[in-house]
Amino acid sequence: MSMKIKAKIKKDVTEVKLLLSSPMVGKEEAELKKVEVSYITHVTAKVGGKVVWEASTGPFLSKDPYFMFNFKGAKAGDELVVETIDDKGKTESSKAAIK
Amino acid sequence: MKRRKFLSLGAVAAAATVLPAGLSATDFRATAPKAWDAPTSKEAIEAMFGSAAMVDGQIEIKAPKLAENGGAVPIGIKSKLDLAVIALFQDANPRSAVVVFELGEGGVVDLQTKIKMRKTANVTIVAKGRDGKLYSAVQKVEVSIGGCGG
Repeated sequence: MSMKIKAKIKKDVTEVKLLLSSPMVGKEEAELKKVEVSYITHVTAKVGGKVVWEASTGPFLSKDPYFMFNFKGAKAGDELVVETIDDKGKTESSKAAIK
Repeated sequence: MKRRKFLSLGAVAAAATVLPAGLSATDFRATAPKAWDAPTSKEAIEAMFGSAAMVDGQIEIKAPKLAENGGAVPIGIKSKLDLAVIALFQDANPRSAVVVFELGEGGVVDLQTKIKMRKTANVTIVAKGRDGKLYSAVQKVEVSIGGCGG
């Protein structure tokens, strides 16, 4: 399990591209494919401890979910921290400097 | 009632910044559990946002006219509005709710994600502005090969 984060600032807007790692299998797909239910339920992105973007997520996002989002108020060099939690309560965290 | 709900959401978001890391501002899976089990967009939207009037035409959905891979259909959401909550629904899977985004104070409404769609169907966005109003947009997306997901 891993995640990829790219954060780039242009003028005053920071653009983040985020690729998470999860099969995103819900109950219907699990039953059909005889696999385990497993999906990310929440993603949070923070700069300086402040939430800039977050998502409550479900199994109808694509496998290995992709997100792009934009926000103002950060500067180059700031650290963007991304935290995820899945349906079993397992958490992951990663960070990237805003370029 | 609606207004009070929105204000309390804001209070939770403000409080979260002083709480330990790891606590999210709002978990829409916990606050609106019924919405995630609803089979149709109409039911899911009502469970999440109620049945208040929505303003149309101020949110742009960017989706392919014909999606070739139903396992990962790219959806873009753009708007000049100051939106706090943006939810994505579709009628191509057993259940409708896909994701609920929340933007911080400096949020710019320019989002992208990829969703599963096992057939051609409507994609619906419902958003709540910092003005307390609800906004919506609908776009039909054609899918040539369905995605996994039942």
